[in-house]
Amino acid sequence: MSHTVRNFSPRRRRVPDLPLIAWLTVIWVLLWGTLSWGNLVNGVIVALCVSLAFPLPAVELGLRLHPLGILRLLVYLVYDMVSSSVEVTRQIQARGPYPAAVVAVPLRCRGDLMLTATAVAVSNVPGGSVIEVRRATSTVFLHVLDADDPGAVDKAKRSVWRMEELVAGAFGTAADIERARGPVPEGNGPS
Amino acid sequence: MNPWLEAADLLGAVLLLLGCVQCLIGVIGMVRFPDVLTRSHAATKPQTIGVLLALAGVTLRLRDPIDLGTLGLIVFFQFLTSPVASHLVARSAYRTGQTGSRGLLRDDLDPQLSEGDE
Repeated sequence: MSHTVRNFSPRRRRVPDLPLIAWLTVIWVLLWGTLSWGNLVNGVIVALCVSLAFPLPAVELGLRLHPLGILRLLVYLVYDMVSSSVEVTRQIQARGPYPAAVVAVPLRCRGDLMLTATAVAVSNVPGGSVIEVRRATSTVFLHVLDADDPGAVDKAKRSVWRMEELVAGAFGTAADIERARGPVPEGNGPS
Repeated sequence: MNPWLEAADLLGAVLLLLGCVQCLIGVIGMVRFPDVLTRSHAATKPQTIGVLLALAGVTLRLRDPIDLGTLGLIVFFQFLTSPVASHLVARSAYRTGQTGSRGLLRDDLDPQLSEGDE
């Protein structure tokens, strides 16, 4: 896997992408703060110009939206943030030294979207900050605080896998969901 | 005045206060933690919750659908951009050896970087 050059498709679409234009228009209207025909038409024009002037590379996204899964992910995110804000507050009040560790957590899903979404979700909840992501092996490297506690590393790993399952349930294809429910990668079980 | 609106105002004020307290805790963490990586914990996490709470408080006081959309947009971009920024800071901090004077208890990344696939 050394020196592999990633093949990003150099082909850039000149055809405007409807969901993208709709999304840009929604942002435009929200930023103006009033819903009027003028804003709507201007938004569509600006969105068209932007997507024609700065075409995005074609990406194999594989994005599926599962409303129930998204809701579950959001509820879990909020719950996790609130429950562990107490934890971070305690860590801040504790006297140093702060023993830390870098832990590799291999993911079960292989897609770029799953990897990115899981990394974003993980870094939004207290307890782990992502310092490196390996695309070739789908591995996330976490910086964990309080690593002298033997449970902390396992807890961090489990929370990443749990997050992966939720992210797959919210945005993944059927294959992703299947894989995220599967067992943890070989040789990387709780140590 | 409608008691429901009064309750929403009060709850909004409480949420605003809580959000500010969270941000303050994050700043205290910035001062107390010793190195870049631990500081990034304190800088990103409590701050995200703080912003979320403060915006929820503002929403309860504004109560206008279009403002709600704008605030939702702020939350969305906050969630999407702050991990990217903190990841880049953490990544460059790790690669320049800013892992703290006491080192790490365990490091799974170092062997992978030393293999020479950079």
